[in-house]
Amino acid sequence: MSRLPSRYPGERLFSFLLVIFSIFLLWRSYLISGFSELSSPGAVPIGASAMMVLASCIAFTQSLKTPLNQEARFFYHCFPPVVGFVMALVLVYAVVLEQLGFIATSIIFLWVALKVLSQRSALWSLGLALLSLVLIYVVFRLIFQIVLPEGIIPERAILAAISRFFGGE
Amino acid sequence: MEALNYFALSWLSPELLALTALGTFLGIYVGAIPGLSVTMAVSILISFTFSWDVNHALCLMVGIFMGGVYGGSRTAILLNIPGAPSAIATALDGYPLAKKGLAGEAIGLSTVMSVIGGFVGIFVLAIAAPTISEFAITFQPRDYLLLAVLGLTLVGSLSSGSLAKGLFAGALGVLVGTVGLDPLTAEERFTFGIIELWDGINVIAAMIGLFGVSEALHQLHHLDKAIIKQKISRIIPPWADVRRFLPLSIQSSFIGVIIGALPGTGGDIAALMAYDQAKRSTKKPEVPFGQGAKEGLIAPEAANNAAVGGAYIPMLTLGIPGDAVTAVFIGALFIHGLNPGPLLLIEQPHMFWFTVGNLTLANIFVLIFGLTGIRIFSKLVECPKGVLIPLILLLSVVGAYAINNSVVDVWWMLAFGVLGYFMRLYNYPIGPVILGVILSKLMDENWRRAILSERGDMGQFFANLFSSPLSSVLFAAIVFALFTQTPLWTRWLKPKLFTKA
Repeated sequence: MSRLPSRYPGERLFSFLLVIFSIFLLWRSYLISGFSELSSPGAVPIGASAMMVLASCIAFTQSLKTPLNQEARFFYHCFPPVVGFVMALVLVYAVVLEQLGFIATSIIFLWVALKVLSQRSALWSLGLALLSLVLIYVVFRLIFQIVLPEGIIPERAILAAISRFFGGE
Repeated sequence: MEALNYFALSWLSPELLALTALGTFLGIYVGAIPGLSVTMAVSILISFTFSWDVNHALCLMVGIFMGGVYGGSRTAILLNIPGAPSAIATALDGYPLAKKGLAGEAIGLSTVMSVIGGFVGIFVLAIAAPTISEFAITFQPRDYLLLAVLGLTLVGSLSSGSLAKGLFAGALGVLVGTVGLDPLTAEERFTFGIIELWDGINVIAAMIGLFGVSEALHQLHHLDKAIIKQKISRIIPPWADVRRFLPLSIQSSFIGVIIGALPGTGGDIAALMAYDQAKRSTKKPEVPFGQGAKEGLIAPEAANNAAVGGAYIPMLTLGIPGDAVTAVFIGALFIHGLNPGPLLLIEQPHMFWFTVGNLTLANIFVLIFGLTGIRIFSKLVECPKGVLIPLILLLSVVGAYAINNSVVDVWWMLAFGVLGYFMRLYNYPIGPVILGVILSKLMDENWRRAILSERGDMGQFFANLFSSPLSSVLFAAIVFALFTQTPLWTRWLKPKLFTKA
């Protein structure tokens, strides 16, 4: 879908933003050590950002010449609401991850994402979310020993209680 | 004898054997499921395995790499959706074969040919790498710089339609790699006074964002795509077919190794070139190409697996990754304390022979898993995207968090994910960004060494560049790679040269 010869809505703006971004980076690269020496810490950043400015200007000019794909709509073909929703969902997930902890955040994230994306019943999504979380927890937390934020659920206390129960102590 | 010991290390240790088998098995599924890629899987896995013993982590990742390159062909044949870019050429004749009811035979034949290609690649790696690495010791800093620029130019010009977009992506990667304190002078670069940025932007977080999150977001466009199922017949290919197509598969394998060994070109380009070559060299195919010619299935499959061995050559001998997958892989080697480059083979020859042995083992597992379990496989790849995407996103967040137990890496991952999403959308290639990040340090160091040895004199730099045959060849290759993207070449010279031939 991204290989059409015509231009998608928003490409010009995106290319223009990249030009501005590249110019900003070129200025920041210059601030590192100016044009003092060819071997200065700022030499490679200046070279790379100058290349970015040049390449982004060419890409922007190309986008001015390419005709717009008349059938494509920005909020349908380029940035459908579902993409925005998922981006926001991941953002919220990252924000609350440390406060609420891995288990609580992940279960809510998976439940909501599965419900919306697979369009199945709430119970089915919750079941699958629980099952996936158990699998991920066992593989990554227990086998790979990855440290994940604990948050509001006292994981270590629960795990200790379970091991005491099975250990008979 | 010692080399043989290291070669057989992963064969004899039950743990390493099991990890290689597991990696290959997972790789086949990761490669096959559209929306999951080897690059994504290796990026996410690095963050989970970096506390492991290096051999264990390598076994798992080598298996995933080898299995993943092969796995892409399965969905190309069964669903006409290449699971990986290296399987694009496979779909051209693989899917028509499946439509004729020969899906099983096509899968069987592609498996055997992939394995033959894999062996040719590994064989060339074992023979060529020690020689290249001895030669590479004589490389000047200038040559490393030129090699890195050549890699970025090639990957930038070949991975998208526009050279400007490719070069932008490569330069962005180089710049991202320079963020943090300068390793030589400790001067701050793009840190904006934030102490967290002193160590730079974590490469793995960037990789997970660019390959995991952005791909998952992109897959949201195809949520409701219906899958057309194919019937699977016999899987083991007839021996007569294997014998008949052996010369073609060997020829394609060599194309694969050479293309794979060039910095900047990987399995996808190798497969397309081998397909093109097979089309030219097969005078009378039983079935025309594009309508289910077995030659059209064999050539890309042998080539893309041979390219794996090929891609390892510059990676292990020069420390220069061939494409996005090897760039991620080289990142993994760095994380595990290995320093790929000419000294790796001299200082740690055991790592080299261990890798060769491990690749061979993974290739054998491709054969075993490739010819079995296809019925379960065809059920599993039908896993709906609505289920797959939330899981990829969750694993990406966990992976990014696990790098330093810090949410900062998750923010970077998200930022690169969103950037990668729009870059993909507007046809800016992603591969050069990560190649640039990986090559950034090498370019920065070697540029400064090269220019310091010329006492900061640009004229002297170019005079010495043209007096060295190697530097001249590399420089000419860069100029040629750039020239082939100009209108003078594409509109005027290329049609003239190639229509005469």
